[in-house]
Amino acid sequence: MSEPLFFPWVSASLLLLCVSTVITSFQMTGIEKARHWITYLMATVFLLLIAAGVEVERSGAARLHEPLPRWGQWAALDSLNGLPLPLYAGLALGMIILAPRRKVTSGWLAGIQILTLSTIVAYATTNLALFAVAWGASVIPFLGSRFFNRRGVVTIPRGAQLALIASTLLVILGSVLLAFGTESSQWSTRLSLGLPRHGQSIVLSLAFILLMLGVILRKGLFPAHGWVAPSFAQGSLIPLNLLFNGHLGAFLIARVAIPAFPEIAAAALLALGDLGLLTAGYTAILAISERSPRRLLALLAISQSSFLVAGLESTNADAIAGALVHWQVVVVATSILTAVYTGLEARLSRPIDGQEFLGLGKGAPRLAVFFALGGLALVGLPLTLGYAAEDLLLHGTLETHPHLGIILPIVTALNAFHVMRLFTTTFLGQPVRAAQTITDALPRERWVLTAAILFLIIGGLYPALFVHLPARAAENLIHSVTRIGP
Amino acid sequence: MEVIIGLIILLPALTTGGLGLGWLVGLRMSERTIARLTAGCYSLTTVLVIVLGGLMGSNRLDTVRLLIGSWFEVHTYRFPLLLQIDLLSLPLVALSVIMVGVIGAFSQRYLHREGGYVRFFFLLNLFGTGVLLLFMAGSFDLMIAGWELVGLTSVLLIGFFQQRNEPVKSALRVFLVYRVCDIGLLTGVAMLHHYVGAATVDRVFTHPWPDGASLLTGTGATVVGLLFLIAAMGKSAQVPFSGWLPQAMEGPTPSSAIFYGALSVHAGTYLLLRSQPLIESSALVSIAVVVVGVLTAIHGTMVGRTAVDAKTSIAYASMTQLGLIFAEIGSGLKWFALLHLCGHIVVRTLQFLRAPSTLHDHHRRYSASGGMPSTNGAHFELLLPIGLRIWLYRLALERGYHDTILERVLVGPIIRVSAWLQYLENRIAVALLGPSEHPIYHQSQPGPSGYAVARPEEPAGRVRVDQPRAAAVNGVEGADV
Repeated sequence: MSEPLFFPWVSASLLLLCVSTVITSFQMTGIEKARHWITYLMATVFLLLIAAGVEVERSGAARLHEPLPRWGQWAALDSLNGLPLPLYAGLALGMIILAPRRKVTSGWLAGIQILTLSTIVAYATTNLALFAVAWGASVIPFLGSRFFNRRGVVTIPRGAQLALIASTLLVILGSVLLAFGTESSQWSTRLSLGLPRHGQSIVLSLAFILLMLGVILRKGLFPAHGWVAPSFAQGSLIPLNLLFNGHLGAFLIARVAIPAFPEIAAAALLALGDLGLLTAGYTAILAISERSPRRLLALLAISQSSFLVAGLESTNADAIAGALVHWQVVVVATSILTAVYTGLEARLSRPIDGQEFLGLGKGAPRLAVFFALGGLALVGLPLTLGYAAEDLLLHGTLETHPHLGIILPIVTALNAFHVMRLFTTTFLGQPVRAAQTITDALPRERWVLTAAILFLIIGGLYPALFVHLPARAAENLIHSVTRIGP
Repeated sequence: MEVIIGLIILLPALTTGGLGLGWLVGLRMSERTIARLTAGCYSLTTVLVIVLGGLMGSNRLDTVRLLIGSWFEVHTYRFPLLLQIDLLSLPLVALSVIMVGVIGAFSQRYLHREGGYVRFFFLLNLFGTGVLLLFMAGSFDLMIAGWELVGLTSVLLIGFFQQRNEPVKSALRVFLVYRVCDIGLLTGVAMLHHYVGAATVDRVFTHPWPDGASLLTGTGATVVGLLFLIAAMGKSAQVPFSGWLPQAMEGPTPSSAIFYGALSVHAGTYLLLRSQPLIESSALVSIAVVVVGVLTAIHGTMVGRTAVDAKTSIAYASMTQLGLIFAEIGSGLKWFALLHLCGHIVVRTLQFLRAPSTLHDHHRRYSASGGMPSTNGAHFELLLPIGLRIWLYRLALERGYHDTILERVLVGPIIRVSAWLQYLENRIAVALLGPSEHPIYHQSQPGPSGYAVARPEEPAGRVRVDQPRAAAVNGVEGADV
């Protein structure tokens, strides 16, 4: 069942994003002015997508398409992308506001715009080819030296670039095979994103394998996790946070793999779920002997976001809904950690090496509180949204993975310890000299971080607000598997 | 009565929220205002608890429940927001509100002009909310929320003197023990859902406390019971997870009193009392609870005798009594355990609060007795052979070598495995991409918290790229925020 939206929210948002990309790419104004303009445009995009999300929430329809007469079917909104769309727009807006001034160049802003544009297209599109193109476009800003690099130095290692390129090629190839493997005379049907493909032909199986390999590389699942930590250690954290928190890998599983390959998915995805749990456990163990805060942040992000895969693969409504709620938590919480850490590096004029207690909480108590709350919400602090996500994930995962499921509480406990370790070494202990004069949260930081924390706390006090859509999406996904699967 | 239950939890929660929000928006509240706010909140809550107890007594009710609704629901799973007060939780709720109020009043003077005054009261109120949630939870799911809030506030108050490194390290160590043991509670509750299909107290047990029998028996009861025991051992500092209790004394005295004398440390015993029918239905779990309790009691009393400072000595005395309460619960003496628990809370809080005045008290007692105070106890250990006494003394002095054993058997190997994995990963990355593409981080020194340790020895001549490279690449040398 598909009904038209009240307004072309997504198309309007993309139009605004295109305008802002043009403003920055062609350096039509000064950098500070451009940043202001982009902030306003992004805020508008954020509001438009919130409106779209509200419309999805209110309508009982399974899917809502854009009301444009000819091109209206290119994008659709449903319970699966109703929340991620505004969430990602909000994340990009927040990151633009929070970025330290010296980081922001026209290339940096253009890179963020491209990343945001492509991720939103990937979330919204119903077309397989467009999804693959958007997947690839989101990687482009990290490849050259035009966007996120300073003084001509490439910020993420060659291995990471290779991993991102390989994941793009795999997804493109998988999509091509998927289109050719579909038995239909119409290309629109072949390129439809969530259409179930019947049978188990070799082409379809190969397409599934390629797509999953692409997911493994992009999400940094074991053994492809190796690119994430070095990238975080050397790269610009804010763009990397945006790339990582797009969670396009998890989205591909939910949007394409489960509905398109219900027969294969029912059997094969459990193995990928186990891989997710293994990755979560492995990276949590790696983090024990890690001191560099940047690498620790990366390992935390991989470990916690691997639960998304574990939950989505579980074919259990609780776990899938838990994974989708956890998605929101990971996006907001890791962004808080990244933003606070980036702000501290800019204040200290040097990266933090984790060798000594810094005691920065003395000079920056608010930043310390934001960091602690964000970190603890990530690992399921009660009265935050993280608690609801953890509860759902734990119940669902233990039901479907009774043996490996035990990894989840163990990993959560380990990650909580890592968060606390990061917090204590950064903000507590005998203050270093810089801690005496460090500036606490600036007004722009305070507002954005407070909004993020409020999201987590309101979500914790009234989780039904953010669980309802994921629960609906989970039921749809379960339905698509059980309808055809064993 | 339902409204009263709601108010009992709501008032401390609102006070906590008010203090936190006030601080965040920069509202400056005087010490007196903060203390009065806390005192007012807990005085009112105490009155409400007394009224509720009176109403329950006059109506001969053994349980009052308040179902607020479903916190969230997915498919067939529901998280009920169910609060309840029964014969087990009523005395503990009453003691909680009284104790938090008393500690608030004591801290007003004790922490006068101390840095972190607002933080202390915020955490105290958050703890009050958490502990009330823990004792009033009508489901084990909701109990987790209270349990974790209690643990978190406990850790944050151990690190209260945050500008010294030692309290921070101790806080981190306690947090690690708490989190490891919390795995037991999280998994146990998930297992309850798996076996019973629900985790509300009224669905797991046939009747209200103390007459209920467990609906879960056999292997399920043993698994869940053992998991709950692990959780309780962590929170109540039972052997072998007892090493954190003396380290927790780094916090200010009022917090030591409320956490390790009064309430937090008794959370484990409460969990066992609450799930007592479950424990009773499994002989293995019952025996395990008794064994853990007895071992802890022996350990606590031995080590306590060699403790050199007042707070540590009281901490071990507390551990001894907790061990005995465990043994009572394992033996099925529910009422006796509850009575012991309540008495212990009151006595130990008093001892902790008087700890800073120990010398003063001693001098007064000395003077009052005319310089001839009576000897304290019969010292039966003198009956043991001297060799055994020395051996026991050394064992007690080293606190049973628990921490050393845990570190060597459990923590050390995990850290070594982690370091090896890191080393291996870096070697592979260097082999695949070349040394310039993959920095190997030198980690020969332990981190400030002591958990990031030396990696296995690296071959000489290996290319290393340290932090300065990352610094140069990041270009974070400017301070333009």
